[in-house]
Amino acid sequence: MQIEKFSYDNKIVRNFGIATLVWGITGMTVGLLAAIQLFWPFMNFETQYTTFGRIRPIHTNGVIFAFVGNAIFMSVYYSMQRLLKARMYSDFLSKVHFWGWQSIIVASIITLAMGFTSSHEYAEMEWPIDIAVVVVWVIFGINMFGTIIKRRERHMYVAIWFYIATFVTVAVLYIVNSVQLPVSGWKSYYIYAGVQDALVQWWYGHNAVAFFLTTPFLGMMYYFLPKMANRPIYSYKLSILHFWSLIFIYIWAGPHHLLYTALPEWVQNLGVVFSIMLIAPSWGGMINGLLTLRGAWDKVRSEPMLKFMVVALTCYGMATFEGPMLSLKQVNAIAHFTDWIVAHVHVGALGWNGFMVFGILYWLIPRIYNTTLYSKKLSSIHFWLGTLGILFYAIPLYWAAVVQGLMWKEFTPEGTLKYGNFLTTVLQILPMYMMRAVGGALYLSGVIMMAFNLVKTMKQGQLVANEYAEAMPLEPTIVKEKGVHRRLERKPVLFMVLALIAILIGGMVEMMPTFMISSNVPTIASVKPYTPLEIQGRDIYIREGCMGCHTQMIRPFRSETARYGEYSKAGEYVYDYTYLWGSKRTGPDLHRIGQKYPNKWHYDHMLDPTITSPGSIMPAYPWLLTQDLDYASTPGKIRALTILGVPYTTDYADKSIEDARRQAELIVKDLEANQVKTDSDKEIIALIAYLQRLGTDIKVNADTK
Amino acid sequence: MFKQITNLNGDERYLIFSLLMFLAFFIIVAIMLFRMKKDYAEQMSQMPLEEDSEINKIDTENL
Repeated sequence: MQIEKFSYDNKIVRNFGIATLVWGITGMTVGLLAAIQLFWPFMNFETQYTTFGRIRPIHTNGVIFAFVGNAIFMSVYYSMQRLLKARMYSDFLSKVHFWGWQSIIVASIITLAMGFTSSHEYAEMEWPIDIAVVVVWVIFGINMFGTIIKRRERHMYVAIWFYIATFVTVAVLYIVNSVQLPVSGWKSYYIYAGVQDALVQWWYGHNAVAFFLTTPFLGMMYYFLPKMANRPIYSYKLSILHFWSLIFIYIWAGPHHLLYTALPEWVQNLGVVFSIMLIAPSWGGMINGLLTLRGAWDKVRSEPMLKFMVVALTCYGMATFEGPMLSLKQVNAIAHFTDWIVAHVHVGALGWNGFMVFGILYWLIPRIYNTTLYSKKLSSIHFWLGTLGILFYAIPLYWAAVVQGLMWKEFTPEGTLKYGNFLTTVLQILPMYMMRAVGGALYLSGVIMMAFNLVKTMKQGQLVANEYAEAMPLEPTIVKEKGVHRRLERKPVLFMVLALIAILIGGMVEMMPTFMISSNVPTIASVKPYTPLEIQGRDIYIREGCMGCHTQMIRPFRSETARYGEYSKAGEYVYDYTYLWGSKRTGPDLHRIGQKYPNKWHYDHMLDPTITSPGSIMPAYPWLLTQDLDYASTPGKIRALTILGVPYTTDYADKSIEDARRQAELIVKDLEANQVKTDSDKEIIALIAYLQRLGTDIKVNADTK
Repeated sequence: MFKQITNLNGDERYLIFSLLMFLAFFIIVAIMLFRMKKDYAEQMSQMPLEEDSEINKIDTENL
């Protein structure tokens, strides 16, 4: 057999690298804006497009799918070609993948700013974009498997397994989480409701962290860390054990996001047990990475990129220890809904994901440009700015979380809440929010410095667009290899199927009983479907991203029932397409807000929150008072909800506009009686109708079957 | 703490079933690892370090 000559495609690697820089700076700048809005509401600019509720999903999706996503593709396209000794399967598919992904990012930013959101966290994009994501992801998969099939290296290195697991799991997660019924071009309803929707969303949300922010990065670590340290990975066997345990266990842990909620208790406890078990494989990966540097610590002192890797691995270790601790019910009772969770994810995002991406960029860009890094000193300064940034970000938020979490739970000797006014607890932690923004700014300035450094590097070198290589082609295997895993490592499709089975088992056990066994969601007779006007109001609530700061889930604690009222029950959410439990209380819970305040209070509060709550950091929503409600969309929405199983009578859709207007008139009359002149066409009326309905059904006639 | 996972009115069977399944899975992986030859593992772990072009050769030396 003759040696084959071919070349590696470095241009696509470079393109994804530039996209990583551009979207990294964009996503983090938007994050900094959101951080500032939290202590200086002026920065919401009183327009709907720049208000926190819409900015937050742009930031989260921007850093996850735009910054980290492009970094993953850059690293996968670089390492896979070399590990498989083959050029990517198709240059055309690589290009479609690149431009497809960038178009999705641009479309997402525009539509999220316009308020087109499905409200599922980290998957807020509406259905046309969901379809595009799946198509581009499949193109990536075809390109990846095509390369694997035409490889010149019989066995697949551990990095490739992580890439395969990432591809197959993200596809399953994204599709299951995004099954929705379109109502119009940019509006849809998920087919799941209430508790089931929450379970699906957090099965997705948790595993997006696992299979978008963790597994591809472990693959990247297993390739780039040995490269940088110029020594093989510490233990190959540990990598196998850690791979299979990680992908098997991770998928079960999603319910730990829903502890003490209306989710069936056994599912919650399942999530807890598997979360604790998750420490073992996570730390297996971290230890394998850190020990790879044994005997090479002198290099860590002189090479900033290795410093980035060491801090990345350390942050991974901290975040994966902290996660299981937070999923202990006793800890969760205090930490959940506070800034602790925000700090926790940022240790992972800034430390683990960010720092590893920076390390790889510093290593990779000079290589494909056939030059050396423009300034090692600048990259060293970047390292310290970034590290300080993480500390200034995380520590104040931990502090804020403990302070606020304890204030929420503090009672006076007389047995009443010591801080009955929620706002008092928010004002207490504003200085921490300011420090957090300083941390974010430090981190961002480091990234900008890196961009400058890398652009200079690119300018002093020249891109080796096609890197020459040669290798022997694969001979057909005749001998049967002895080891089981060894055989597996040359069978990519079988490997993918096994990985798929490993992740499906957890998902099925977790979700099937809640979907199939009706006793898991007890129904409540007095809970009725929303009226058409309330549906419209609910969709405005979703559009403005209210769930970014307000929960609708009162947990069964004395401190919560004393503050908000009767705790929330699974049966109350059966008509909630989509669920709106939320995950963070920057403002108070709203599940029992209905009938608590007069209509006029809500009207004033939306016009300017400081009228009713002096010092409030909530943005103002004046456009709700002037914008007209789209009554014409009502029948379509009612029809869609009927299809999904909400028991409206037949033909109710045709009468829905009439009904909505009738209800709106009542609210307008009540407002008029309180010196507020408005008319029933305004969006605020629908929102008030929805808020006044929230959590009131069980007060009518509490009767649990 | 263990009350949370043992006292579930009959629903602990889901938990026990899940844990047993993981145990079985873990044992299979462990057996595969025990039977894996050491020289194969070593050979695999060298894969990222195999040099693929002149450019990389030069740069690794500079590190």
